[in-house]
Amino acid sequence: MNGICDVGRKIMPRMNALLVTSVIISILTFYGCSTTKPPTDTLAKAELGVRAAREAGANELAPVDMKRATDKLERAKQAMAADRYDEARRLVESAQVEVELAEAKAEAEIVRRAADDLQRRVDALQTEAERDSRKPITTRSEKE
Amino acid sequence: MRLLAVFEGPQRITAALSILAALSIGCGAVLNPALESARDSYQKARQDPMIVRHAAVALDRAGQALQEADRLWTKENNVIEVKHLAYIVERRVEIARVTAQRRLAADEIQQFRSPRP
Repeated sequence: MNGICDVGRKIMPRMNALLVTSVIISILTFYGCSTTKPPTDTLAKAELGVRAAREAGANELAPVDMKRATDKLERAKQAMAADRYDEARRLVESAQVEVELAEAKAEAEIVRRAADDLQRRVDALQTEAERDSRKPITTRSEKE
Repeated sequence: MRLLAVFEGPQRITAALSILAALSIGCGAVLNPALESARDSYQKARQDPMIVRHAAVALDRAGQALQEADRLWTKENNVIEVKHLAYIVERRVEIARVTAQRRLAADEIQQFRSPRP
């Protein structure tokens, strides 16, 4: 038992120093991290993103993702009002990707529709051209 | 990092993540289910030539979020933050997939415009 105490006595000053350092480090990380800062900038950015997505037609073309984004922004504002900044930041960050996805889906859908429309027109032109080429020559002279 | 020099571009991120994963398993760290699911989604997208070709930047953003999640898991064991980042990874992979689909459709339109040889 004495042996252990001796070892303890030798280690104790070091342990104290370690304790002090770790307390200082944890205080620094606590204040240094975004923990204490409200995510005002990212929230404003996400709200701009929602507006851009709306303009891209995301409300109609990706309603589920848009609803998720706006719900999360709403919850983020509530968390911010209650000083739960970490939770607010996470909600804003996930609203941000939600809204990016909504906008990407809307844009993809618009381009896809345009491509399909173009394909249909080209097909129609081709069948028309084929029909014309198959017409007997007499039809033209009959018309004349 | 010299070990990673063999790999180029996006492959390097994959290699780095694989090494990180191998290390975490090797050290006997507990796997986080949300993180592993996110890694799985990312790896699948990485193997999809359409996504790699048409949405490399979007896919890289997913990779960055995954790296950050990995770091938080191995160094800080921060369950809440890792779960959150894993969700971000999943969404970013989805954004990459949709972006690739948009570029593919845009390419189709371009083909109609340019005269065929």
